[in-house]
Amino acid sequence: MKRIHSLAIVTAIIVGAAACAGVGVPKASSTPKPPSASMWIEPTDLASRDLFYGPWGAEHAPAPNSVFELVELKHTGVNLGMTVKDDKGREWSVKQAYPGGLDPEGPVEVVLSRLLSAIGYHQPPLYYLPAFHLKDDLGTRVVVGGRFRLKDPSLKDTGSWKWEDNPFVGTKEYQGLIVLLVMFNSTDLKNTNNSIYEHRNGDLVEQWFVARDIGSALGDWNPLAPRKSHPPSFEKTPYILGVEGGHVQLAYNGWYKNLVRDRIAVDDVVWASELLGRLSEKQWQDAFRAGGYQPEVANRFIKKLKEKIGQGKALGSRVADRF
Amino acid sequence: MKTLFRCAIALICSIPAAAFAQEPPAVPSSASEPQGVIAEPDIITRAVLFADRHLGKGDLTNGIYVDYGNMIPGAGWASVGPGYRHWYGKDSLFVDASASISVTGYRMAQARFELPALLKSRLVAGVQSRWQQFNGVDYFGSGPDSLPSALSDYAVKSTQLEGYVTIRPVRWLDLDGHIGWVNPRTRHLDGPLLQGLNSRQAYVPTGVALTIDTRDFPDHPTRGVMLRGAATRYDDRTSGSNGVNSFNRFDSEAAGFVPIGKVVLGVHGWMVRSDVDAGRSVPFYFQPTLGGVSSLRSFADYRFRDDNMLLATVEMRLALLTHLDLAGFVDAGNVARRPGDLDLEKRSYGGGLRFHTRRDTFAEIDLAHGTEGWRAMFRLKDPLLLGRLDRKTTIVPFVP
Repeated sequence: MKRIHSLAIVTAIIVGAAACAGVGVPKASSTPKPPSASMWIEPTDLASRDLFYGPWGAEHAPAPNSVFELVELKHTGVNLGMTVKDDKGREWSVKQAYPGGLDPEGPVEVVLSRLLSAIGYHQPPLYYLPAFHLKDDLGTRVVVGGRFRLKDPSLKDTGSWKWEDNPFVGTKEYQGLIVLLVMFNSTDLKNTNNSIYEHRNGDLVEQWFVARDIGSALGDWNPLAPRKSHPPSFEKTPYILGVEGGHVQLAYNGWYKNLVRDRIAVDDVVWASELLGRLSEKQWQDAFRAGGYQPEVANRFIKKLKEKIGQGKALGSRVADRF
Repeated sequence: MKTLFRCAIALICSIPAAAFAQEPPAVPSSASEPQGVIAEPDIITRAVLFADRHLGKGDLTNGIYVDYGNMIPGAGWASVGPGYRHWYGKDSLFVDASASISVTGYRMAQARFELPALLKSRLVAGVQSRWQQFNGVDYFGSGPDSLPSALSDYAVKSTQLEGYVTIRPVRWLDLDGHIGWVNPRTRHLDGPLLQGLNSRQAYVPTGVALTIDTRDFPDHPTRGVMLRGAATRYDDRTSGSNGVNSFNRFDSEAAGFVPIGKVVLGVHGWMVRSDVDAGRSVPFYFQPTLGGVSSLRSFADYRFRDDNMLLATVEMRLALLTHLDLAGFVDAGNVARRPGDLDLEKRSYGGGLRFHTRRDTFAEIDLAHGTEGWRAMFRLKDPLLLGRLDRKTTIVPFVP
């Protein structure tokens, strides 16, 4: 009987966790979009954008050989990490790989941030270091690196936004963002991974709606233990299954089906595909180099992503042909 | 000539460039792990991913957590319960509380309050209280010649409160001190021994320990050593006893782990010596014991007990898959009334499987053989039960 009790507890925990996962069906917000709020800005200079250092440039990047002082360890989420301070007094949020290096999220987050920011989506300053010098009370040592996110004074995190209820629901940038994240096989679309940043640019204060913690991607959709940063899984996963009732059937199989099921129009896919398809080969390579990927691994991801972009674009011409 | 000139210019230009190049340091070896002898099936890798992300973050995640696998031997293959922990003030204050129940009905609850970063992390101070109720703890009698047929069961229930400090001059060296209060209540449940037992006592344990620990990952060590010496005074404060059951305990322990290709060789030695007044013995539930999943594995839990104990273990782990080791081991040890009588007469041989990540062991299956036959064991986490070194309170009964 006691054994049955223990198993029941474990089952209840798993079922409870599953019930909490996912987001509701998106609906247009009753409150109008504030004029200063944006999720995306038309990338008029896309061809010249630097995808290695990203939108915040080399001047915001961490010095790879700097000694970073520990402020505190990370106590949220499933990834290891910490807050550190560099020798210029700048604070960084570091998301580290697990020892053993199995499916790290840091490199993926940097790559996806580069791709999204290149095509106009707001992103905070993110960089990748494979290892770094960490100084704590007991001395300095080299530790495994990861994603470094700068806590820049011009950017204030004011909370999270919900996928199902925000001023951008139904807009092309909102729909396109979902398409792109599905294209990247992003598995962790929970609301708490989204941030509203208050961005100060001189006297101008803008609200940025940012898809932020996007490192759980470039793998597959397994609901319990998705692979991440894993070329074979990413290559095997299908993308577009077809079009039904005017909606694109995406091969999405994660926890957040409400964002995808019967909601994505052909135009959304075409818009996102054409936007991403404007990146040059060098920009693709730079984005993956920014995440610390070796060229042979990067090329596998890039090839598959370009295939998906091709599928997305072709969808537009197929639908046009039908009419 | 022209080519030579170009090369010279290129070389001259590259020198300052290299000097100012901002290269990150080399990635530590902990970032990767040895591949197994055979390719790992996808399902194993995914199980590791799940365990690593959702069970393996140690005590780092704030909020509610599942406390599992933290019971003593005899609790069965698993225990589970809710816990809550939180770090405050940039890691300067830690609070933790949990309760759990095992598949054999052992119950436990604890709460801890700790200041881990005093004097620039050189001093840790904390207090922990614990309540536990273990029904059906095995007892075979005292001495190396106890018989399996004498198997009896007793129940032990205790509440305890303990304060502790750790001085940590360097990362690998801890000097611990602790003082507490514990009130073990024991009663006979079953079997020919301990009949009529219904005792209620109180002790004030006070102790110091010195630990040197260079293991890379304490929960899945692949290299490094652990050396420990501890002295504890158990002061009998039972009303009306005049302290007759007071005793001292001295622990000496060493463990070492060496990676040799895809194999990790681990050796472990542990001696516990008790100092009691002439003609008296250590209370049976505080006596060092041998037998079970972390000591003499072919013998039942708590199979041998006496005032003194010696244990030696050699274990080799071969990386069969990246996250599954094939282990072979030899355990040897004994208990004795006098330290001079200790030997390695009792032995277990066996093998098993270890399911692990780079830094954590999640499950162990062992099959061991000895003079009392074969024994199969399954256990969640904690190889060699060295995790007991992190415990801040006195466990009743003694756990090998």
